[in-house]
Amino acid sequence: MTFITHDLAVIGGGIHGASVALFAARAGMDVVLLDKGALAREASGTNAGTLTMQMTRAALIPYALKAHDMWVRAPEWLGHDVGVVACDGLSLAFTEAEEQLLAERAAARRTAGAPIRLVSSAEATRIEPGLNPSLRMASHCTIDGYANAYLTGVAYRRALLEAEVALREYTPVEGLDPTGTGFSVRTRTGVVAARQVVLTGGVWIEPMLAWLGIHLPIRTLVNQLSVTERTTPVMRTVVGIASGLLSLKQFPHGTVVIGGGWQGTGSRDTGHHTTTHESTVGNARLAVHAIPALRATRLVRSWTGFEAETADALPAVGPVPGVPGAWVSGSVHSGYTSAPYIAHCLVQAILGQVPDMPLFPIDRLLVQDMPAATDFTKNGTEH
Amino acid sequence: MTEFADLLVLGAGPAGAEAALAADHAGLRVVLLDEAPAAGGQVWRAPRTHAARTRSDADQTRGRDLRGRLDASGVQVRTGTQVWDAVPGFCLSCVSERGATRFQAPRLVLATGATERVRPFAGWTTPGVFGLAAATAMMKAEGRLAGRNIIVAGQGPLLIAVAAKACAMGVPPRAIVDLNGRGDWLSAVSGFAAAPGLLLTGLKWMARIVAARVPILHGADIVRALGDDTLDAVIVRDRASGQETRLAADTLYVGNGLTPADEIHRLLGAAQVADALRGGYRTLCDADRRSSVPGLYVAGDGAGVHGAFPSAAQGRIAGLAAAHDHGALSAADFARASRHARGQLKRLMRFADASCRLMQFPEDSLQDIRGDTVICRCEDVTVDQIRAASGDGACDLNQLKHFTRLGMGPCQGRMCALNAAGVLRRLAVDAGRDLRLTPRAPVRPVEMAQLIGTFAYSDIPVPKPAPL
Ligand SMILES: Cc1cc2nc3c(=O)[nH]c(=O)nc-3n(C[C@H](O)[C@H](O)[C@H](O)COP(=O)(O)OP(=O)(O)OC[C@H]3O[C@@H](n4cnc5c(N)ncnc54)[C@H](O)[C@@H]3O)c2cc1C
Ligand SMILES: Cc1cc2nc3c(=O)[nH]c(=O)nc-3n(C[C@H](O)[C@H](O)[C@H](O)COP(=O)(O)OP(=O)(O)OC[C@H]3O[C@@H](n4cnc5c(N)ncnc54)[C@H](O)[C@@H]3O)c2cc1C
Repeated sequence: MTFITHDLAVIGGGIHGASVALFAARAGMDVVLLDKGALAREASGTNAGTLTMQMTRAALIPYALKAHDMWVRAPEWLGHDVGVVACDGLSLAFTEAEEQLLAERAAARRTAGAPIRLVSSAEATRIEPGLNPSLRMASHCTIDGYANAYLTGVAYRRALLEAEVALREYTPVEGLDPTGTGFSVRTRTGVVAARQVVLTGGVWIEPMLAWLGIHLPIRTLVNQLSVTERTTPVMRTVVGIASGLLSLKQFPHGTVVIGGGWQGTGSRDTGHHTTTHESTVGNARLAVHAIPALRATRLVRSWTGFEAETADALPAVGPVPGVPGAWVSGSVHSGYTSAPYIAHCLVQAILGQVPDMPLFPIDRLLVQDMPAATDFTKNGTEH
Repeated sequence: MTEFADLLVLGAGPAGAEAALAADHAGLRVVLLDEAPAAGGQVWRAPRTHAARTRSDADQTRGRDLRGRLDASGVQVRTGTQVWDAVPGFCLSCVSERGATRFQAPRLVLATGATERVRPFAGWTTPGVFGLAAATAMMKAEGRLAGRNIIVAGQGPLLIAVAAKACAMGVPPRAIVDLNGRGDWLSAVSGFAAAPGLLLTGLKWMARIVAARVPILHGADIVRALGDDTLDAVIVRDRASGQETRLAADTLYVGNGLTPADEIHRLLGAAQVADALRGGYRTLCDADRRSSVPGLYVAGDGAGVHGAFPSAAQGRIAGLAAAHDHGALSAADFARASRHARGQLKRLMRFADASCRLMQFPEDSLQDIRGDTVICRCEDVTVDQIRAASGDGACDLNQLKHFTRLGMGPCQGRMCALNAAGVLRRLAVDAGRDLRLTPRAPVRPVEMAQLIGTFAYSDIPVPKPAPL
């Protein structure tokens, strides 16, 4: 048996891994992409798809703006449809405390470059007639929108094959050994050899980094979403609230997706996650409070997905310290939105270039001693 | 609001009602939940109209008896109550006209019954095409059957039952299109003989059909329904010769057996095995109906299709097992009280197997469905689209759903998932792969207004804000 040594092995085929693989292959590298399941079946295929500045951490706004522009031009670089719609976004305040929070957050995000301004309730209801008129204030962003996240897998799959990436779905990686000149990627069905590796395992970047003796604690959030049946138009913008605990939009086919980071339960170790009654009802109440017409709809489905969070809730994107040729990328807040641009910057670094915007090296997050892998899921707190 | 009990029973059909009655008799506090307006389930469904009440038959009598026994018992019967979520422990989330409620108990019997399967054919979504099971529901609840020129098609005892009852209602079918051949029925007779009373009922049905001179086309199926806004005709194909015949009709009742309504079994993580004879998948349980999930018991068609009488016997055993595990029945009393039901179940098994064999879904025939046939009717996904998605790399049902929206509509895959899996399995998909959608709440669409009730904004437990 002869081994092909790939230039780059990407381990984890979510939006981050798939984008890195695509851009690296387009830049001429011979890339293999491995996933334990099918492409984009974890967070990247099940998320709410909101491409928003108003839920993005201020420090990530410059990346999210660049990425938003990429998403709008997805047909040019991805070549396949993920249903991107660009529209206005509104974040709402119904109480005095929320007004204060909204003002503060809008200011920070505006400073970071997002075109956000505060508007009166009258102006907000002109922009979005579906709103509950009892709102006190809103922040309005002209750069917002959404993608249809469940199309991520099929769109990227086509693009990756066209770019001649070697796709290895349903191939869980079990370990990684530096060989001096590269890496042996161990799978149940054999070893894959590559000169460089990128770990893009979503919440599983913690166990992946452990293969290299690195301990980066990752909190596992279990985000929950619900969707209504197809209904007549009830809204035309992306709607959230000041705290960030609501995200709402109506897709062109008429369903409304309700989210905002309400927590379900689950465990990264078993891979199992599920909704909770409290979160389903709480999130639905908040949604109906914001868009009262939703009261007349039916809820057809709720589901959950894992989102990764580092200790400082900022990304883990950069070289793996002490292991030349190994890279990591994940734990990006509102990580669907920013993924294509972050991947673009990371691929520049992998190619030995200076990235257009700085990466988020993980040295700041490392824990020296190495206890058993942490899984915060049990007492999973909201974010 | 949460109500507590010793035992929750979901489904007030033969299985659930017997489970509830047995456990109540043993002294447990039992709550019996069903979304239907009255207990009885599918087979002993309560009549809703005067016409239905006056058309008394054996099933009506059994239903009335069952409801009478429930009324006289201590069982808390909560009809009109739809269960949309369940977590181990057990907590059931419900909605009803009274709003949202929850029920909690350390033990739960699932007796959720079955869903009908229909083998898709061109035009099966045309108005005027109904399920066979829907026909029985219409006749039982309303005492009538829609259509004047009707055709009854599909397979199994339900086919004969619907045709016979249609004759009795003065609308003899223009034809019975039976997927099974005469030989299939003949080889079932020895199994049917295990339940002489039921065999006799079946023979009476046949006599009525013969008396009404309804032609029976054996070994045939429907390949096409014609008509735009209403049904005009169907094309019947003889399976052996391939010869096609056009039959005029304004209404078609068609059904290809049943499959367990096991969404909640799966949501709770009960172990299952593939079992084509029992309708697709069967929930594993021991002889006392305990599933793999501690405290969870399963009975009736929801755990594997057996029919009404075995379901009732399984229900009784499950209810008694729950009472025994609760400490309310000694081992000896459990053995004594369940002996009759166990004997019945054993006796009826040959009958059940014979019926199930006639009802077994013709998986192989999914192979030759025309490409433009709709599989997912909620989202209008055709066989060709499934084939294209497979070409694009979709090799399980969750992926297929993402690629095509199949199963994302209000039926949530109840009507299409098994058919789609059947189509996909034939497209070089790894045989061992699990071809089912991940179970998710709500198990049925819920009215938003009932789900959220009335609330004040300040009462919404909004989690702490995300980091800035
Ligand atoms: C419910 C929900 C809603 C969200 N809503 C939004 C939103 O509206 N907007 C937004 O911008 N962001 C949103 N996010 C966040 C966003 O989805 C994530 O940040 C992003 O998808 C993460 O992508 P990823 O590639 O890092 O991880 P993932 O998509 O989780 O991909 C990791 C991949 O690694 C694979 N893998 C793991 N272990 C192994 C192994 N041993 N071998 C091989 N492969 C392995 C997994 O199978 C998986 O495919 C949401 C997240 C969730 C869960
Ligand atoms: C439509 C239909 C018609 C049928 N007609 C006949 C017939 O005429 N003759 C015959 O011999 N067999 C018939 N069958 C077969 C028959 O279902 C069974 O053999 C028998 O009724 C099984 O009893 P059971 O108690 O297991 O389930 P069922 O009698 O089906 O009872 C299950 C009950 O659970 C309730 N339920 C399920 N899920 C939920 C939920 N999430 N929330 C609240 N309630 C819930 C349902 O409303 C139902 O009343 C029919 C089957 C179907 C699907």
